[in-house]
Amino acid sequence: MISRTVLLLRIAFRNLMVSPINLLIGALILFGTLVFVLLGGLLDSLSRSMERSVVGSLAGHIQIYSAASKDDLALYGQFGNDSDLKAITEFPKIQEAISKIDGVQMVVPMGVSGALITSGNIIDLTLERLRDLVRARAGQGGREELTSLSKEELDAQIHAEILHLRQIIKVLRGDADRAMADMLSARAVDPHNLEALHRVEKDEFWDGFEADPLGTLEFLENRIAPIVTDTTLIFLRYVGTDLDKFQHSFDRMKVMKGQAVPAGQRGMLISDLIHEEQMKLKTARRLDKIKDALANGRVIATDDELKRFVKENRSQTRDIVLQLDALKTAEMVKALQDALGSKETELDHLLSALLDTTDENFQKRYDLFYALVTPRVRLYRVNVGDVLTIKAFTRSGYVRNVNVKVYGTFAFSGLEKSMLAGSTSLMDLMSFRDLYGYLTADKAEELKEIQKDTGAKTVSRENAEAELFGEGAEVVAEATPGIIDPDTAITSTGRRLREDDLIKRVYSQKELDDGVMLNAAVMLKDARQIDRVIKEIQRVSDEQNLGLKAVSWQKASGLLGQIINVFRVLLFVAVAIIFFIAMIIINNAMMMATIQRTQVIGTMRAIGAQRGLILAMVLIESVVLGVLFGGIGMLTGSGVLGAMAMKGIAAPNDVMYFFFSGPRLIPTVTTGPLVIALVIILFVTVASTFIPAWMATRISPLRAMQADE
Amino acid sequence: MSNGIVTIQDVEKEYSLGATVVKALRGVSLTVEKGEFISIAGPSGSGKTTLLNLIGCVDTATRGDVVVAGKNTAQLSERQLTDLRLNTIGFIFQSFNLVSVLSVYQNVEFPLLLQDKLSSGERKKRVESLLEQVGLNTHMKHRPNELSGGQRQRVAIARALVTDPLIVLADEPTANLDSQTGQAILDLMKSLNQQKGTTFIFSTHDHKVMRYANAVVRLADGKILGRESPELAVAHAVGMDAPAAPVQAAS
Repeated sequence: MISRTVLLLRIAFRNLMVSPINLLIGALILFGTLVFVLLGGLLDSLSRSMERSVVGSLAGHIQIYSAASKDDLALYGQFGNDSDLKAITEFPKIQEAISKIDGVQMVVPMGVSGALITSGNIIDLTLERLRDLVRARAGQGGREELTSLSKEELDAQIHAEILHLRQIIKVLRGDADRAMADMLSARAVDPHNLEALHRVEKDEFWDGFEADPLGTLEFLENRIAPIVTDTTLIFLRYVGTDLDKFQHSFDRMKVMKGQAVPAGQRGMLISDLIHEEQMKLKTARRLDKIKDALANGRVIATDDELKRFVKENRSQTRDIVLQLDALKTAEMVKALQDALGSKETELDHLLSALLDTTDENFQKRYDLFYALVTPRVRLYRVNVGDVLTIKAFTRSGYVRNVNVKVYGTFAFSGLEKSMLAGSTSLMDLMSFRDLYGYLTADKAEELKEIQKDTGAKTVSRENAEAELFGEGAEVVAEATPGIIDPDTAITSTGRRLREDDLIKRVYSQKELDDGVMLNAAVMLKDARQIDRVIKEIQRVSDEQNLGLKAVSWQKASGLLGQIINVFRVLLFVAVAIIFFIAMIIINNAMMMATIQRTQVIGTMRAIGAQRGLILAMVLIESVVLGVLFGGIGMLTGSGVLGAMAMKGIAAPNDVMYFFFSGPRLIPTVTTGPLVIALVIILFVTVASTFIPAWMATRISPLRAMQADE
Repeated sequence: MSNGIVTIQDVEKEYSLGATVVKALRGVSLTVEKGEFISIAGPSGSGKTTLLNLIGCVDTATRGDVVVAGKNTAQLSERQLTDLRLNTIGFIFQSFNLVSVLSVYQNVEFPLLLQDKLSSGERKKRVESLLEQVGLNTHMKHRPNELSGGQRQRVAIARALVTDPLIVLADEPTANLDSQTGQAILDLMKSLNQQKGTTFIFSTHDHKVMRYANAVVRLADGKILGRESPELAVAHAVGMDAPAAPVQAAS
């Protein structure tokens, strides 16, 4: 038996050498296998690294959500929108049921939503600060750090803010004058604004401040603030979650600035990338980016993007200028004059000169900027420790206000630069529920307080919604944009309740669990158990009537999770085409070979070879061809992958950080694509040779007798 | 019925060539005894090859009985016929029919591998001894295309005899060889016949070849004209062939 197989293999090998067409077939099979193993291996590596990214950053291994939801869950959004999910209100029961399933480590409740926040322009912020100071001085309450100040200290601070405002007005006036000097842009200057600027420039206007501070502020808010148009809207996408559980389950998460939200408390962790990209002073951000680029070997002189950054830095100095009062302006002018050895007196010109960075002076200018400029300005629009008031609109049109303290920023290690992983900030569940429109116990208490204070009208409106959401009526997820509004619509009592009580309050696990959520991440002890646990969850859900739908991280990540599969399908199609062509050629070649070998096959039959041997002989021939060249293809593909793994493939851009689960993708050679390739090769060769092989078995031994002329 | 190694009784063989039916054999009876060195002679189209095919179990009769080594071939399946060929019959072909991708040694070993009865050591011994007998023990590693026609036919003889068959069938074994080489091949066949007692049945239309046989069966138009001594057969054959000779020369 063995020697017969050896004989057939020997015949196969030797026959292969005879026919040059086998070289073409071999080349096709080699190419097909190489492409399959190489790209298949890369896709597998990509899929694994993406799994690490998705599982480790937001999704967990499995996501559960209400089966009655209108949309499928798409954690990273689908076509730019968040999914419309039906709220889950029986989390403790669900958690208990799912935690019992073997292999489940933790269930982390979640809810994804978003709000549009505007941090206000610089004049808004200054006016707000001034208003708080005036209120504190008048004993009308406010933040503790203000109310604890003495009257003298408050006076001094008010004076400083007035000087700052006057400086801003001076800058605005300068802008308007320059605009007027130019015929074209002169038309764009609103005479109404010009008149207002003219008025607030004068000392008399400010002399009246002490007599009617609030009236003065109102004028500034209504007439001057709108002139400054550099307000930035930031869309803040957040996931409301049990922050403790989240931090424990997603162990790649790390706090970058500030601290974690204290256990059980309300609070937010902003994505560090959002904080850097969207909340940092643009000039500083651009300098950071140039620094990174230079470290990566790019040069300003030839790089269009870097040139643009420098140009923008030089022209867009107003962000900085407007933030400084007269005193600070003078200080900075002096400092910059010294540093640059310049006699220039205008701050914007000095800044422009400072920021005229080249490859030679960049490091020095960068250090100067961070040493002289940033300490005097607000580097981030939102700082650690700030309290953001997030105002969200529910679907029914009512407004929800929630104050959330920003405790810090966070990132997932390896994914620091990934916009996808960094697109979502974290919020505590209680704040999330408030914004979402779910009536929490302390919200109800607050409503009572408001009722007492402000009368029935407002309350009835709030109550209407409270009842709508509070009594088990259909609760719908909201992804409506909200606005951070420092002047909350709710009166001072409600505001104080939030700031002083709610922010410090520590919630019990029961309070955290007992409320609405939209979805939950299920963390497993072993990622390979995903399919089994999904089935178990579905079974438990059906048994206990929990109405849940469980999906893998891949499905939960929406379109994103499908990308690899799309590539995989494309690869399969391409490889299928290559192998299909190979099959046709093999079929033809083997048909020809069989016809040519009629006499030899007839002779073998005459001598005593059974049909099975002839079938095996022909089949083995193409299998040997396939395995030989396919094997070379596999080895080459694995070799290339292995070579790539030595250095890793650098992520070409921020998006790829997510797919690569870090700055480099280290491809690994796995048996998966190799085994599949082998199966494909065997199938292709056997299937394409089957007809010629069968034909060969039909050759009569009589053919041996016929002379071969 | 005789108890010869091959017994053929009233055999007819018909082929259909399109719409017409060709009668290749029309009532042939023949008995071949063990150890005979018998020639089947006759002109082209006389039915020599058909008769050989029936004896060689590569074809079956339309009517009549063909009994080879005690087995009636009409009653055997395709598989059994193949086994019968493998274990009982050795074939020598006019155009040698060696497997070109295999070496001399491997060609000779081939039937033993099909039989799968011997160990590789026994096979080696057997193959080498046969190649020595045919005088090719120095060419074992050669490929058939590296050999002369006579050498190839000797390889084919070794292959036919390697399984120690009862019968060796040779279809015009010398037709593709020059007369000297042909004689050498026939000498070899004859000596093997005498040494081993293997029955040889070979077809030919060459009267020089017929002389080697101990009996000649003359065929014409699908019928046996007679079973006679080589001398008589040659005389008949010369008589038969004589008128044809000028025609062949003219063509």
